[in-house]
Amino acid sequence: MRIQPSYAVRRVAFAAATLLAAIVMNFLLPRLIAGNPAEMIASQTALGSPEVAEAIKKQFGLENDSLLYQFKQYIVQLAHGNLGISYFNYPTPVSEVLLKALPWTLGIVLISTLLSYAAGWLIGIRGALKPGTWFDNAALGVSFFINSVPYFWIGILLILLFGYKLDWFPMGQAFSVDYDSLSAAGKLRSISYHAVLPIVSLAIASLASHILVLRNNLSRALTEDYMVLARAKGLSGRRRTFHYGVRNAFLPSFTGFMLSLGHVVGGAITMEIVFSYPGIGMLTYNAILNHDYPLIQGAFLMIAVSIIAVNLLADLIYPFIDPRVNLN
Amino acid sequence: MRNKRTLPRERSGKAKLWGGACILLVFAAVSLATAQIAPYPKNDMEFEVWLKPSAAHLLGTDSYGQDVFSQLVYGTRTSFLVGVLAGLITTIIGVLVGVTAGFYRRWVSDALMFVVDLLLIIPVMALMIILASFLPSMGLTSIVLVIGLLSWLYMARSIRSQTLSERQRGYVEAARVAGMSDLSIMLREILPNLYPIILANLVSVTTHAVLAEAGLSFLGIGDPKNVSWGTILALAHANNAIMYDAWWWIVPPGLATALFCFGFILIGNGSLERFRYKRGASQQT
Repeated sequence: MRIQPSYAVRRVAFAAATLLAAIVMNFLLPRLIAGNPAEMIASQTALGSPEVAEAIKKQFGLENDSLLYQFKQYIVQLAHGNLGISYFNYPTPVSEVLLKALPWTLGIVLISTLLSYAAGWLIGIRGALKPGTWFDNAALGVSFFINSVPYFWIGILLILLFGYKLDWFPMGQAFSVDYDSLSAAGKLRSISYHAVLPIVSLAIASLASHILVLRNNLSRALTEDYMVLARAKGLSGRRRTFHYGVRNAFLPSFTGFMLSLGHVVGGAITMEIVFSYPGIGMLTYNAILNHDYPLIQGAFLMIAVSIIAVNLLADLIYPFIDPRVNLN
Repeated sequence: MRNKRTLPRERSGKAKLWGGACILLVFAAVSLATAQIAPYPKNDMEFEVWLKPSAAHLLGTDSYGQDVFSQLVYGTRTSFLVGVLAGLITTIIGVLVGVTAGFYRRWVSDALMFVVDLLLIIPVMALMIILASFLPSMGLTSIVLVIGLLSWLYMARSIRSQTLSERQRGYVEAARVAGMSDLSIMLREILPNLYPIILANLVSVTTHAVLAEAGLSFLGIGDPKNVSWGTILALAHANNAIMYDAWWWIVPPGLATALFCFGFILIGNGSLERFRYKRGASQQT
């Protein structure tokens, strides 16, 4: 069960190509759609003095009309971690604004992803083992329903019910108003208390797909020939189900799991808006409202990079879980 | 024994197809006859604000004094149009790429799938946001194009793998021996066998398009002049409908989306069931 060098090289090369594509897109799209970014920057009153606009233009090579030259400058700045200056939060650099918002998003989305996979897998396994029972039918029905509604709507409903009507949880924000005066434990409590509804909403919204995928895979695995063989060998039902069925059904789910870990950064955009939660999504939303183009581009790049990185990681872990991929 | 088990399956597939078609027909009728069905004109703000549901206002009024039911009816037209048109664009590209990549081996297939895999990793929703926020104005056309042109990747993969298995079959070999060109083999021989898979995909991309439109509208980058289920929710949220306990403004747009997508899901599942049933039958004989 070793990883083959040729496989690893191919995956790394693919990730590099994807990264390049994302960077090119991020560079090219605004220029193709919105025209000359130099004029856009010059017209931004938020930048204060014309000298500052001039300096930024120079830094990103915008004074030169050649696209290639601009791209070279863009890459050079990128390599230095410079994503430009946020128009709206002037003069804070985009990277700083993004890094401040990142932990909030990571916190709620990571926890909700883990929760929803755990619950989705359990429900999916139970449904596949006892197909056609009321439990299975209810799980399927609810899953299809959840998949058919905008996922931020689930958040709004939960706020209406648990935030407004029952008043169990706060209706938004990441911490209470008196946050700064609280002790460390109090801060932690305030943050956790405010995170409950966003986490639960996100978990419910993504639960449905996990149930459906695992249930389908397991149902298929249970009809395979090796299950018949395992039965003929006299293996116990529990061993057959978990070591033979579930183990094989898990493989595609694992890829899905890693993929959604990659989507952690960008996956909660609308949900964060619903909860006024100060993460990357809320940031992107405000950036759109304020036409803060450098910030929008920075957020896109950050989301893309996180997905590409986790994808590569998943590809490199996969051979240890399923040795067959090395053969291809 | 076998017959007894497969027959109800065929019938259930048919029932699902019909049920789904009925739901979609109702939505189509509503979006065609908006003016007749909606009790008040579009964006008519002449009523008292925050009215609870009553006989005069089936779903109450919002914070602008608009009749929510009327807005919902007008929203149906936008959501229906965006879903169907964007879904069609997605399907056409998905089928073209999928069939081509599945039919031609080696470099055509490799090159196309490389592009697809590459784009699959790039977050589509974020890309849509970038496009939508940089476009000078977001009309209905740009929404349809942005969603339609960016959603075909999964579909292309699924069509490709089905084409791969179809081209191994005897009838493709027979057509080749009979001297048919590649193009007519693809169009006349393989494509008809892909219809159920295409339909199932069409269903999921349409559902996806409706939800994507709702998401974009909620972010405020939809078409501000048009009413859609997404913009209704966006307005409800922006105007603190929760604090006014205005569930009649929040719940209906979500339920409308759910019912609409449910119609499509029924059609998709029904067509797949019938496809499996027929395939099973033809393989036995």
